[in-house]
Amino acid sequence: MIVTNRRKFLVTSAALVVGALTLSAVPSQAFSPRSVDGVTATSIKLGITIPMSGTASPGYNKIPGAMKAYFDYVNDNGGVNGRKVTLVVENDEYVPTKAVTKTNKLVLRDKVLALVGPLGTSNNQAVAQKVNPGKRGVPVLFVNSGFSGFANKAKYPTTYTVLPSYIMEAKIMSAYIKEKFAGKKLGLLYQDDDFGDDALAGFKQSGVDFAVKVPYASGSQGVATTPGTWVSALAKGGAEVVVLFGVSSATAAALYASYVGKYKPQWILGSVGGDATTLAASKIPPSFLAGAIGTSFAPSPADATDDYIKLFMDVNTKYNAGVPFDNNIVQGMNTAFLTVQALKSAGKNLTRKSLMAAIDKNGSKFASAGLVPLNYSATSHVGYNGYWFGTYNASGALVADGGKYTVYTTDSGSGAVAKSTYTRPAMPAKGLPN
Amino acid sequence: MRAVHKIKSNSTTRFIFFIALGIVLFLLSNRVDELRVYQGAEIAVYVIAISSLILLTGYSGQISLGHGALVAIGGYAAAVANINFHVPIWLTFFIAVLVSALFGALLGAAAARLSGPYLAGATLALAVGLPSIANQFTVLGGEQGLTFDAGMPPASLGEDFTVYKWNFWIAALATLAILWLLQNILRSRYGRTWRAIRSNDVAAELSGIAIGRSKVLAFALSAGIAGLAGACLAMLVGTVSPSAFPISLSFSLLTGAVLAGVTTLGGVMIGAVVLVAIPEIADAVANRFGGSESVTSNLPGLLVSALLILTVLLVPNGPVEQMRTIRSRKGVASHH
Repeated sequence: MIVTNRRKFLVTSAALVVGALTLSAVPSQAFSPRSVDGVTATSIKLGITIPMSGTASPGYNKIPGAMKAYFDYVNDNGGVNGRKVTLVVENDEYVPTKAVTKTNKLVLRDKVLALVGPLGTSNNQAVAQKVNPGKRGVPVLFVNSGFSGFANKAKYPTTYTVLPSYIMEAKIMSAYIKEKFAGKKLGLLYQDDDFGDDALAGFKQSGVDFAVKVPYASGSQGVATTPGTWVSALAKGGAEVVVLFGVSSATAAALYASYVGKYKPQWILGSVGGDATTLAASKIPPSFLAGAIGTSFAPSPADATDDYIKLFMDVNTKYNAGVPFDNNIVQGMNTAFLTVQALKSAGKNLTRKSLMAAIDKNGSKFASAGLVPLNYSATSHVGYNGYWFGTYNASGALVADGGKYTVYTTDSGSGAVAKSTYTRPAMPAKGLPN
Repeated sequence: MRAVHKIKSNSTTRFIFFIALGIVLFLLSNRVDELRVYQGAEIAVYVIAISSLILLTGYSGQISLGHGALVAIGGYAAAVANINFHVPIWLTFFIAVLVSALFGALLGAAAARLSGPYLAGATLALAVGLPSIANQFTVLGGEQGLTFDAGMPPASLGEDFTVYKWNFWIAALATLAILWLLQNILRSRYGRTWRAIRSNDVAAELSGIAIGRSKVLAFALSAGIAGLAGACLAMLVGTVSPSAFPISLSFSLLTGAVLAGVTTLGGVMIGAVVLVAIPEIADAVANRFGGSESVTSNLPGLLVSALLILTVLLVPNGPVEQMRTIRSRKGVASHH
C-alpha cells in the first residue's frame, strides 16, 4: 500500500514537472498576436535591466516604476501611434554577470524592441561585450551611465547615451571649483573603475589638483567599517572642499560616516549620488546636507513651477501612488518621455532600424525636461552635455544658484566649458506625443 | 585474464559512448534557438561543478558547503591571468584548474583534520567570506568585478555562428573531458581507496591506506574541477564579480548533487538540468497565472526545496542509483 502510494506520488510529481517544462517551452507569442522584434499592431515591448535589490539599489529601484507610470499615462491616452507601451523590468542587482543573463532573456526570449535606460557602467560594458546588442541591431537607448566611452559609435553602434559624461561633469565642476574655491585644499572620493577613471580624466584635463584622493572599490560601501576609513583619510589630509563622485549608496555612506564623526567640509555632490531623498532615507538629516553643492541637468524636483516637473508630479500621483516624488522619479519619467518622443518620431512603421534612424534625424529636437541640449545626429550618440549648479536647502531640495538655472556645457574631449544659451522645446500639450 | 579483458572493453565502450554523446550535443546545438544554447552552456558549467562535488562528497566522503568559493577562485584566476599577465585564453582554463587545485590542496590539508559538521562549517565560512575579499582589492575589480573576454568564435565557422554556440562547444567539450576523466579515475585504485575511506576510515587505514593523503588528493582534484567550472562560467557571462558567487551558489550545487544522487556520477546531468530549468519553469508558471514579482522571485526556491525533499524522501540515493537497484532486484526475481 505504502509502495503504491509512493509510486503514485512519484509519478504525479514527475508528470507535474514535465508538464511545467512543456509549458515553459511553448513560446509566449503563441498566446498573443505575432510580434516582430517587440512590435505588434497594438503593442510595443521594451526592456530594462536595473538594480531592484542589493547594495546599489536604493534610489535606482524607483526608476522603473516611474517609467511605467509615464507609459501607463500615455497608454491611457491612446498610446504611441496607436500602440501601447510595455516595459519588462529585470533586476540585475548591479552585478555585471546578472546583467548579462537578464539581458539575454530580454533580447532572446522576450524579444524586446529596445533596451531602455539600462543602468551601470560595468553592466553595460559587460552586456555590450557578451550579449552584443550592437551586432544584433538591438537599440540600447538612454543608458543610465555617464561613461564617456558609450558615445563611441564604432564600439557601441546601437547605444545612445543620455546623461552628460563623467568627463563633462568633472570639467564643468572644475570650472566651478576654480571660480568659487580657489586656493582651498581639495578632497575627492571616487569609484575605482571606469566610472571614476572618467572623472579623474576630466579633473586632470582641467588642471584641478586634489590634496586627498580616496578611491573605493564598488561594493565596499556595504562593509560596515569601510566608509569610516574614507572619511578619516579626507579629514587627516585636511580637505576643506570635498567632491563625492560615487553612486548613491557610497555617497550616503560617506556622508553618514562624516555626520557621525562630526566632519563637515564644503561638500560637492556629483550628479550620480546627489539625490536628496535617497540620502535622507539613509539617515542623513537634511540639516547636515544643507549648504552642500549639487548639480543636475533636469529641473529641481522641488520646482513645481516647471511644466515638466508639474506633469511628472501629476502622473506620479495618479499612476505611481504612494511613491515619494524625487530626482529618481524625474530621471525615470524623463527617460520614458524621451523614449515616447523617439517612438512617435519613428512613425507607424516601427522597427529597430526606424527607431534609431528617428533619433539620429530628430533626436536633437526632442522635447524633454532637460535644461541642457541633446546632441543626437547621424554622427553623434551623445545626449545631454551640461549641468547647472545649486545648493541644498534645509529641507534637502537642490535650489539653483541665484534663483535661476545657469547651464554650462562642454564635451568629453578638449573643448572648453561655456555658458549655454539653449532654451528647451516647450512641452507638448498634456505631455503626450501629439 | 578474462577480468582484464572485460575492464578494457568497458573503458573502450565508455570512450565510444562519450564520443557519441559529443556528436549528439553538437547536432543538438545546431537545432535549438540561441537562448537554449546559452542555457545548454549553463548546464555544462553546472555539470562540471556538480561532478566535482560528487567526487568530493559522494566518493571521498568529505562534505563541502562552500564549493561556490572554489568555483570563484577558478573564475578569478582565469580573469586575472588574462588581464594582468596577458595569458592566452585557452591557457587560462588550465591556470584556473591549477590555481584552484593548489588552493584545494591547502584547504584539503586543513580539511583532512576535520570531519562531519566541523568540515561543513569550515567550508561554509569559506563560501561566505572568500568572494567578498574581491571588494577590498582593486586588482580584483571590487563589486563590479573583472571582464573576461573569451573572444569570438573563429571566423571560419561562419558569420552566423553565435558566440553562445562557441561557448557551448567549449563548455561541453570541457564537460565531456572531465566526466570521462572522472569515470576512469573513480574506477582506478584512487576511486577504490576513496570509497574505502568513505565506507569506514578505520578499516581503510588498517588496510594500509594513507587516509590523510588520499583525502587531500580528493580535495585538490575536486577543487581543480570546480575551478574549471569557474573559468567556463566566467567565459559564458564575460565577467567575474563577488556577487556572481553567492552562498546560494554553493547550496545550489549541493542541491544539484543530491538530486543527481550524490554517490553516483551517472545522474549528474539531472541535477544540472533541474538547476537551470527550475527558474525558467517558475517564470513561465508565474507569467501564465499572472503572479506578482515576489511570487516570481520566490517560486524557484520553493520548487527546488520541494524537489529536494521529494528526492530525499523517495530516492535518497538519487534516481540513477534507484533505477539500478530496481533493475538488479528484477534481475534477481527473474532468476527464480
